[in-house]
Amino acid sequence: MRLHYFPGCTVKEKTTNLDSSTYAAMEALGYELVEPENWTCCGAEFPLNEEKIIGLAAPARILRQVELEGGDKVFTVCSFCYNVLKRTNEAILKDPLKHKRINAYLKDDIKIDHISKKKTTGFPEYNGEVKVLHLLEFIRDEVGYEKLRSLIKRDISGLKVAAYYGCRLLRPKDEAGIDEPDDPSIFEEFLENIGCKVIDFPFKQECCGSYLSVSMPEAASEASYNIIRSAQLNGADALALSCPLCYYNLDRRQDRIKEKFLDFTGMPILFFTQILAWALGVEEKILGLDQHYFDPRPVLGIESKAEVAS
Amino acid sequence: MNGNGKKKRIGVFVCHCGVNIASVVDVERVAKELASYPGVVFSTDYVYMCSDPGQKLILDTIKEQQLDAAIISACSPTLHEKTFQNVAKLAGISPYQIEIANIREQDSWVHSDKERATEKAIRIVKSMVEKVLQNESLEPIKVGINRRALVIGAGISGLQAALDIADHGYEVLLVERNPSIGGHMIQLSETFPTLDCSQCIMTPKMVEVSRHPNIRIMTYCEVESVSGFVGNFKVNIKKKPRYVNETLCNLCGECEKVCPQVVQDEFNMGLSFRKAIYMPFPQAIPATYTLDIDNCLGLLPIRCGKCKDVCDVNAIDYDQQEEIIEEEVGAVVVATGYDLYTMDHLGEYGGEKYEDVVNGLEFERILSASGPTGGVVRRPSDGKVPKNIVFIQCCGSRDPENHNPYCSKICCMYTAKHAMLYKHRVPDGNATVFYIDIRTGGKAFEEFYQRAIDEEEVLYIRGKVSKIIKEGDKLIVWGSDTLTGKKIEMEADMVVLAMSMVKTEGVEDLLKKLKIAVDANGWLAEAHPKLRPVESLNAGFYLAGCAHGPKDIPETVSQASAAAAKVGDLFAQEELIHEPTIVPVNEDLCSGCGICIPVCPYNARSLDLEKKVVKVNEVLCEGCGACAAACPSGAAQQRNLTDDQIFSMVKAMLKG
Repeated sequence: MRLHYFPGCTVKEKTTNLDSSTYAAMEALGYELVEPENWTCCGAEFPLNEEKIIGLAAPARILRQVELEGGDKVFTVCSFCYNVLKRTNEAILKDPLKHKRINAYLKDDIKIDHISKKKTTGFPEYNGEVKVLHLLEFIRDEVGYEKLRSLIKRDISGLKVAAYYGCRLLRPKDEAGIDEPDDPSIFEEFLENIGCKVIDFPFKQECCGSYLSVSMPEAASEASYNIIRSAQLNGADALALSCPLCYYNLDRRQDRIKEKFLDFTGMPILFFTQILAWALGVEEKILGLDQHYFDPRPVLGIESKAEVAS
Repeated sequence: MNGNGKKKRIGVFVCHCGVNIASVVDVERVAKELASYPGVVFSTDYVYMCSDPGQKLILDTIKEQQLDAAIISACSPTLHEKTFQNVAKLAGISPYQIEIANIREQDSWVHSDKERATEKAIRIVKSMVEKVLQNESLEPIKVGINRRALVIGAGISGLQAALDIADHGYEVLLVERNPSIGGHMIQLSETFPTLDCSQCIMTPKMVEVSRHPNIRIMTYCEVESVSGFVGNFKVNIKKKPRYVNETLCNLCGECEKVCPQVVQDEFNMGLSFRKAIYMPFPQAIPATYTLDIDNCLGLLPIRCGKCKDVCDVNAIDYDQQEEIIEEEVGAVVVATGYDLYTMDHLGEYGGEKYEDVVNGLEFERILSASGPTGGVVRRPSDGKVPKNIVFIQCCGSRDPENHNPYCSKICCMYTAKHAMLYKHRVPDGNATVFYIDIRTGGKAFEEFYQRAIDEEEVLYIRGKVSKIIKEGDKLIVWGSDTLTGKKIEMEADMVVLAMSMVKTEGVEDLLKKLKIAVDANGWLAEAHPKLRPVESLNAGFYLAGCAHGPKDIPETVSQASAAAAKVGDLFAQEELIHEPTIVPVNEDLCSGCGICIPVCPYNARSLDLEKKVVKVNEVLCEGCGACAAACPSGAAQQRNLTDDQIFSMVKAMLKG
């Protein structure tokens, strides 16, 4: 089945393991992924923090492109992209003024074919009719846990994993939340259904430090340290997440956390799609496990061959 | 025309209302112009018509000029229509020959152009002259009163209202849906600000109610439907089967011992267990066991039947059926109480996940000498005595974005009480209270709160808690101190949430049956927020206690007594007077189409199947006129506001 997938730039450029594992897992579930033509950056978190409407034109254009290609839904794996696309769509659906102003930009779109120099104009309005889904939602609502369980190839019942939501999957609740922000369970349900042992821990919705990683790295380190420590205290061997920025703070910057907190022992951080793909029987090399700072292969029961990447 | 076929003699009295009217409307000109209007024989203006000399002026003029009717051109009729109708009575003419022409709210207060406002005032008064020309001298409708009261809910407010009404000498039906009377107050440990034991002050009251010759207690009963009108209600009460004969049961307790079904005990807020056949608490009234059918293994003796086997007095009766009891009453006191906002609304505090996060009522049971821990403060998870306890106020209150916008009013005080009682029981423990504001408006309340700080060393932190997490067997409380601007992280063995008070679960169905209005938060709406705080707009219904909004015990008791006094007012009247300006049916014109029946908000109209016309219950009709507007044949004409009157008023209004 063909299905629109919006990867987003971080996924395509930085966390290619999230992208490759998504493609592999979805293929195993029987889906052929299509990326909307000429997709651009969704704008990360910035367009929603300002009142400027122009920032919402890019995500709206991506959604319109999905519609032009005959899609009625699009899924993402990156929490930020999900949040931006979903909230833009909600704004178009629920706020007539924003609908009008965003479409005023979209109307002026010109597409230039740089080879033939041919200009295309007169694009249609976008009315918010494409359904924006996070892959966790898609699996719950469209694939179904029963079917998911039937396709599991590898036994990963030994993997004790904690589900880490971060902020962008849950808030703001009435615009973009995939679950109750104060007591979510969709991620845990997903992990249980693919066969992991799920560990509950109280820091699952706490902020990882987000972009403070750039401006106040110390604060980001502390936030990430607290999350990993809490997961460890509750008996988790690994942390599952969906956001490339969380992944950066929690995995790639474990070196910085180590400098600040001497008792820090580190922990493997996995994208949920990597665990999904592994459980569905995808080959190890597609998962990009060698890109992690903390090698996750031992907890997946794979013998570590290469040196740990840095 | 007046009754004698002569033309009506009408007087016009234009009020200045100080400068309220006179500064915008040229009142003298109004009076002068009206003097020559057809039908008007006298016209004058005066500075305050509602004052004593003003009223005397009207009274004397009616007599001297032999007026048949009068127009008082002044403020809104809601203010002084009654005043001037009484003047008419004194002067010997029908009060229904007095009309108010509103030239204040509808004219002087909303305009500034004197010329045009004066013009408008003249037209308003003229239109009222046209109306009064065709007014009939109506007689008020008189109705008898059934001097029995129904009190719904037997918590402290219902008990107090029932007692007071019964002491006035009237019969009371006290209906309670639970197996025992007592409500929430019987669950409380000690009460602020005097720390007297709740049971000690509540049980005598319960006994008094049960022994009062004028009160009939109906527990395990629910009001099914209410019909009729003030003074004459018909009530259907559903009596749920208790499966135990109240009079035979001798409380030996053998049935409870053999019952195999164990369920959470509601009286102890689920902190202990009871059997399916149970007594809610030892002082329960009526003193009898109740078989909770939802948790019973089944009534067929083959299935279980253990309780029936051991009952020596044969009190257990599996054949009891639900009954509908019909009663007639004249007034209804609604005292349906409150519930607590459930802890799952505040997922961040983990009340549903962590056993040691409890709500205020649960903590009351933990503090209570008759509670699950015998009054020793122990936490639910492992029974340890908590050495660090954190209280969080305003859980779900004063948070219009996420929860309830209102203040639950009692939490500041009961949290101070909780902290104080905790310190009495665990002197070496630490009690911390997180608060937004402290509201201690009440007699001896502020002193009580200060005592908690000064004498009991309770630590008060101004700020909110953001999240509670569990680490090992400790709870970690994250919050902020908004006075220092610092983040706070604190260990606690137990946390008590002062959950917001909310309307009783399921009460909306009952209120719909009673046709009682509620406010935006589901609390009962009073007829006037200041001047009629214990009456509902729906005549004959009175409000008492927390069903009307969060209240402490003294306030609840005062309101219950006030509601009872109002019931007494009603019952003291010989008969009820109903406004005669209703909408009757002209049977010659009525085609029996029935369009007016669903239009009527008071259920006053029905179809007379024999005559094939609509009939009207005059007592139920409030004269709103909805049916008159809906009637296609003109058969529904409101008294003193007929179509003819309306048309002549409109004409007068439009004529130059």
